[in-house]
Amino acid sequence: MAAGINRYKADLRELFFVLFEQFPFSEVAGKGPFDGWDDETAKAIIKESYRFATEVLGPLNAVGDREGCKVVDGGVKTPTGFKDAWKQLYEAGLKQIAVPREFGGQGAPTSLYVLIEEITCGSNTAFNMYPGLAWGAAEVIAECATEAQKKKFAEKMFNGVWAGTMCLTEPHAGSDVGSAATRAFKQPDGTYKIKGTKIYISGGDQDLTENIVHLVLARVEGAPAGTKGLSLFIVPKHRVNADGSVGPRNDVALASIEHKMGINGSATCVLNFGENDDCFGELVGTVEHQGMPQMFRMMNGARIAVGIQGLAVASSAYLNALDYAKDRKQGASFKNWKDPNAPRVAIIEHPDVRRMLLELKATVEGLRALVMKLANHRDHYHLLAGKDDDKAAYHLGQVDLLTPLVKAYGSDEAYRLCGTAIQVYGGAGFLKDWPVEQYARDAKIFSIYEGTNHIQAMDLVGRKLGQNGGANFQAFMGDVAAFIEKHKGHPVFGKEIELLGSASEAVVTLAMGFMGWSQTEKVGLVPLTANRFLLAMSQLAVAFVLLDAGVLADKKRGALSATDPDRAFYEGKVHSAHWYARNVLPQVENHVKIAMIEDETPTTISDAAFASA
Amino acid sequence: MPLKILVTAKRVEDSESKIKVNPAGTGIVLEGLKFKINPFDEIAIEEALRLTAKHGGEVVVVSIGGKEVVEQLRSPALAMGANRAIWVNHVGPMDQLGIAACLQKICEKEKPDLCILGKQAIDDDQGQVGSYLAEALGWSQATFASKEESLESEAEKSKAPAIKLSADGKSVTVVREVDGGLQTIEATLPAVATTELRLNQPRYASLPGIMKAKTKPLEEVTPASLGVDMTPHITVVKMTHPPARKAGIKVADVPALMDKLKNEARAI
Repeated sequence: MAAGINRYKADLRELFFVLFEQFPFSEVAGKGPFDGWDDETAKAIIKESYRFATEVLGPLNAVGDREGCKVVDGGVKTPTGFKDAWKQLYEAGLKQIAVPREFGGQGAPTSLYVLIEEITCGSNTAFNMYPGLAWGAAEVIAECATEAQKKKFAEKMFNGVWAGTMCLTEPHAGSDVGSAATRAFKQPDGTYKIKGTKIYISGGDQDLTENIVHLVLARVEGAPAGTKGLSLFIVPKHRVNADGSVGPRNDVALASIEHKMGINGSATCVLNFGENDDCFGELVGTVEHQGMPQMFRMMNGARIAVGIQGLAVASSAYLNALDYAKDRKQGASFKNWKDPNAPRVAIIEHPDVRRMLLELKATVEGLRALVMKLANHRDHYHLLAGKDDDKAAYHLGQVDLLTPLVKAYGSDEAYRLCGTAIQVYGGAGFLKDWPVEQYARDAKIFSIYEGTNHIQAMDLVGRKLGQNGGANFQAFMGDVAAFIEKHKGHPVFGKEIELLGSASEAVVTLAMGFMGWSQTEKVGLVPLTANRFLLAMSQLAVAFVLLDAGVLADKKRGALSATDPDRAFYEGKVHSAHWYARNVLPQVENHVKIAMIEDETPTTISDAAFASA
Repeated sequence: MPLKILVTAKRVEDSESKIKVNPAGTGIVLEGLKFKINPFDEIAIEEALRLTAKHGGEVVVVSIGGKEVVEQLRSPALAMGANRAIWVNHVGPMDQLGIAACLQKICEKEKPDLCILGKQAIDDDQGQVGSYLAEALGWSQATFASKEESLESEAEKSKAPAIKLSADGKSVTVVREVDGGLQTIEATLPAVATTELRLNQPRYASLPGIMKAKTKPLEEVTPASLGVDMTPHITVVKMTHPPARKAGIKVADVPALMDKLKNEARAI
């Protein structure tokens, strides 16, 4: 096998900073459900995961992209090396880190899981789709299914013996999932026969596991139209014998695979269920018409995972661009640009390259801190659930509120930042000789799948802002306000704290604007400005977590000698916070100003007026 | 027959770190360096685990150094599957004789059937400890253990040990790498073996393994408690970077090249 070369890079010092310093792992590790965890173990696991990622998954990233998936004898053949990597991944136990202990996992806090997920995704996004979906589907079964179903399916899926998929999309039901036409017919024995076609099914077929458990959204005969009439079914590729072993093929057929812009190592399938009227399925749980709430259990986790995919790819794009910029010599220093005999310098010495690199650094670190903030809230929720209802509700509310931000801002920025990383390389970045062009192609899908970014924006303004009577949003703004109050006049971040204050006022103004619009004939402005609001609130949130990191880093750097490598690290954190607060945060007020113009041209323009062609 | 195997786990500078000599020329700059387990030792641990998986027994891992070596003992050594660890707590200079003497004392107490060590450590590339240890104990030695099959072979995928235990359990067969080929020898137990890169592909420390490693026994001893004097017999006088390569020159033609090779470089 011609194994490729690893290009994946992570800055473990930065991962240790977010996990042990900014969002202290020790506050949750070792307690309640996270019994048995501590800093030392987490550190060892991050190091070992990084090693695994760079030695096993990273070398297959370009291989998977160039080879892609193929259909051979009616089944998907994954790229060279994927099968072996799958086996090694589960032997090493990396995918089972956050799996509940009763299913053979380690029950790790989310804050550690998200960093491991960043490492595995970043080294090979396409490969990681397969275990990622297996895990997501297993989680739905673990949370919603009957005990017998859990025993039959979930444990095998969590541990990589079988894989899983989520089958929502149909040719005429994408974002409009309520139009799903796949039908389920109840049989006398209580099982169902499934009939229909699903598209865009990641990992819908593969040669990595002996069975694949599809979670299929379908409408039971006679059920109401729309999302409320949908039920969720367990439809295995192979039927499962009474003893749990793999039985004969179920009537699930691979119709074709898609040829895509990116994540080519991940098989995106069209699946036909019940072509021969013999597709067997089991209802998840015992109650029909629960498909949407059940699927949403998976969707919420999947949306966070997509945000992590964005962070992961952008982070490696940044670190690769940084290496290249230190190495590539071109042009003289701007200080003596007029002298034709001046020595050629590495491009990192050019101010605009440094600007791009700092933009990459600050934004990547901001995304990571935002993901960690979400994960930290989730861990605290699990510690407090059943003990302190008010506090638990606060933490869960923050998870809900931040999820669309992590998914949409993380994915939009990832694609944009990959473009910036290519720009750092110049022409070389456009070539397949370097990893950044693949990163850009892989990253584009992040803003589309698991609910397009507009769906995220509508979720934010339509559901999350008013959730719990607006308490979640108010609590978030309250946390920002308390931070501003505490650090007003800070010697290093005084001006930036002021900027944070104006930006948060602007975000509140726009949130109020939405309430006004939605109760009047201006309701059409809501979808037109939702994406802008999500962007503004994300930039506010990222500035908040970066300034929080900056204040901490500023305190820590003071105690260190000038040559201590940690000193440079902390200074870098201060620079990230300064840069983002000065260059991005002021955009928030502008977004709000633009939104308040109440421009409706996109909806007033007629179809015919778009172009005469 | 179950085997008791003693293996080593030296903490070395990560080969991806940039190594710099300190200005005084007395050693390298340690600030900011990353460390890991000596890759040859990792192969030794893997081989020991494969042997005990097949024959049963116990793997004991030893490291010498300050408290930082506990990190490598826990992960990867114990996390890969070694049963327990012995940490020889020693801060300060040491040489190969001192290291071998510590291992000798531990072997005399632990009485393993087999010691497996990396053939050398990637920091100073000395490659002496294995042979010193065998000599000090009066045991047979099988250095540079390797195997005929490639690391992509089925034999490797099945994780079969390359060091073969005889049916009576009294000796091992070892394929050694020698100049220009492989040599197969039989060594009577107890024995000392040292590992080549091609012996096996070490496993990753699994996540459950890392969790379990925390609670595995780790015994702390000191050279003094072992009765070993660590005073080095070797003194490092000066450490420098290799001289930078000088710029090359262009020669006019082949005869000029031949002349230089013959008379200046004396290469032919």
